[in-house]
Amino acid sequence: MIEFEDKERFHFLGMFASDRRYYNEDFVIRYVFLDKKEHNLKINTINTNNEFKSIQNPLANLYEREIYEMFGLSPVGLDDLRPLRLFPENYPKDFHPLRKDTKLDIEYRGYGDYEFENFEPEGSFKILVGPIHAGIIEPGHFRFTLLGEPILKLEIRHSWKHKGIEKFAEEKSVNFAKILSENISGDHTIAHTLAFVRAVENACNINISLKAKYIRAIFLELERLMCNLNDFAFIFQDVGYSFGAQKVFVLKEKLMRLNYDISGHRFNKGVITLGGVSKDLSLEDIKRIKEFLGFLEKEYFKYKSLFLNSPTILERTDTTGEINYETAMRYYALGYTAKASGVFADTRVLLDEDVCKNMLSYHVLQKGDVTTRVLARFNDIEESIKVIKTLLDNIEEGEIIKSQKLVPNSMGFGVVESQRGNIVHMVELDQDANIYRWKIRDPSFHNWPLIQFAVLKDIIADFPLVNKSLNLSYAGNDL
Amino acid sequence: MINILRTFLKEGIQAKDIEPNKENIKIYKNIPMCFSKSLYIRHVDCGSCNACEYELSALTNPIYDIERFGIKFVASPKHADAFTISGSITRNMKTPLLDALQNVSNPIIIAIGDCAIDGGIFRGAYGIIGGLRDLNIEPHIWIKGCPPKPEDIIGGILMANGVLR
Repeated sequence: MIEFEDKERFHFLGMFASDRRYYNEDFVIRYVFLDKKEHNLKINTINTNNEFKSIQNPLANLYEREIYEMFGLSPVGLDDLRPLRLFPENYPKDFHPLRKDTKLDIEYRGYGDYEFENFEPEGSFKILVGPIHAGIIEPGHFRFTLLGEPILKLEIRHSWKHKGIEKFAEEKSVNFAKILSENISGDHTIAHTLAFVRAVENACNINISLKAKYIRAIFLELERLMCNLNDFAFIFQDVGYSFGAQKVFVLKEKLMRLNYDISGHRFNKGVITLGGVSKDLSLEDIKRIKEFLGFLEKEYFKYKSLFLNSPTILERTDTTGEINYETAMRYYALGYTAKASGVFADTRVLLDEDVCKNMLSYHVLQKGDVTTRVLARFNDIEESIKVIKTLLDNIEEGEIIKSQKLVPNSMGFGVVESQRGNIVHMVELDQDANIYRWKIRDPSFHNWPLIQFAVLKDIIADFPLVNKSLNLSYAGNDL
Repeated sequence: MINILRTFLKEGIQAKDIEPNKENIKIYKNIPMCFSKSLYIRHVDCGSCNACEYELSALTNPIYDIERFGIKFVASPKHADAFTISGSITRNMKTPLLDALQNVSNPIIIAIGDCAIDGGIFRGAYGIIGGLRDLNIEPHIWIKGCPPKPEDIIGGILMANGVLR
C-alpha cells in the first residue's frame, strides 16, 4: 500500500475489519491514515473472503494478528500468528468471536499453551513480572531477558483483561453502547465517549451546536489536565521524590473534586451524549473552573521548576527509556510519546473537528527519553490551561443538545485526541439502527510495543519509571 | 524549595475526617478485631476499566491518607491480610486471581465497584466469567459506585473493622 511508504505524510491510525456477509458482501478491511498534508482521514478499503496480503510493518502486523484471531482471515506472508487477546489456555483455536456465525458459549477449560519467543542467548537469564503487579495497577505480563544488569529484550504479553466489548455491543442499542464506551478506559471516559459519539454522529450526519462543541472541548481538556497531573505525580513518585509527588497528587485531587462539583461525577461520566452534552455550564461553574485554573497555575509552576532544577530527579530521568525517531515512526507512535520523539500526530491540530485548533502549537521535542516525555506533558498542561481559559471566555448562549435521528445501515469514524494520543472508533449501524460492528482503537495499542525498545540497555530498576513515563492503558489495549 | 516547605507548614495537615455515604457500603461479614489498627491489602484488578485503580491510588494521597488508619497497600499477596478486587472477572484473569488468593489463609475480601460482585455492565460478554459470586467467593465488604469514591472505600473498611460507626 503506497501510504505506508510515505510515513512523513500519512500517519497510520489502524486497520478496521468488519464482517459484511449479512449484506451479501465479503469481509471488509479499512486501512485508516491521517493525512497530515490535506488535514483529513484517508481510508483505503479492501474486500476479502479468507485471506489478505500482509504489510511489511511491525505495527500493521499486530493489527493483522488481531484480525486473524477475531475474524479468521489469514494474512498472507505473516509467520507470527500467535493470538493477542484470546489466550490458548482459555479459548479454542478455531474460535473467532467477531465472525457473525460464531457460537459464543464455549466451555471454560484449557485448550493449549501460549508460546513465548524463543530468545535465550548464552549467559542470559530471565525475570518474569506479572500478570499481577506490585503497585495498584492493571494486570500485564512482562518477560525481561538480562545479560548482567542491562536489559537485552523485553517481551510483553497483554490482554489479561480481555472482555469482548466489541462483540458484546453488537445488536445492542446505541445508547447502551454509549454507556459501554464510558467504561472502556476509566481515566479516559470523556475521550472514549466522545470518540464513540462522534462516530455515530458522523454516520448519521448529526450536527451539534457550537456551544455543545465548546463544552465538550472544555471537559476533554479537563480530563487531559487530570491525567497529565496524575502522570506528573507518578514520575515524582517513581524517582523516589515523594514530597513532589504528594503535592501534585493534591492538585489532581482538587481537580477531581472540581469535576464532582460541576458534573456530579469525579470522572465526568455521563456528560457527553449523542447530539450534544447533558450538562450546561452555569456562570457559577465557569467562575469555579477559572478560580481553580488560577490556583493551579500558581502551584503547578512551582513543582515544574522543582522538577527541572533538581539534579537528583534529572539524573534518573535523563537518557532513560529512549525511543528514537525511527522507532516512533515505524510504530506510528501517538500522543506525548510521539511528540517527545519528534513525531507529531495531534488530531486537534491536524483535523478540523476540534474548536481549539488555532489555540495550539505544533510542538515537538527530539530526545525521546523520560525527561522529554515529561516536558511534552508540561507543554500539554500549559496548553490545556490556556485552551480552557479561552474557551470559557468565548462560550456563547445556545442550546446544548439537539434532537437526533439515527440513520440505519450507516457507517462513521470518530477521532478524538485524548491525553495518550488519538482514539479512533468505527461504528456501523444495522437496519434497526443498532450496533452492527464497533471497533475501538485506544492509543495504547500503538504505544505498548514502544516500551520494548525504550527499556533496552536500561537496568530493570528503571522499568517502572519508563512504564510510568508512557503510562499506557491496559484496559483500552485489552478491550 | 524553602519557600515551598514554608507554605507546606502553613497549610498544615490536609487530611479530614472520613464521612462516607453509607448507602454505597455493604458489609456482609465484619473484619476480625485484630485487624482494626493494622490491615495490609493487596490489590488485584480482574478486568476493571482502570477507574477503580485510579481511585485506589488516590487513597494514599495527603487528602485521604489511608495509612493514618494503619491500612497499607503491599506489593505481594504473601504480605497481605486482605484483598481488594475490582472489575468484572475475565476468563484470562481467573487463574491468576485464584493463585493470588491461595497465598493467604482466610483472606478478607473487599469488592471494589459495581462490576466486582456480578460482572456489572459487562455481564454476558464472552470474555467475562462474572463476578466474585460466580466464583463462589463471598466478599466481606462491597463498596458500590462506578467507580466508588475514595471516602466510601476508606469508610467501608473502617466500618467493617469497627473503627467507624
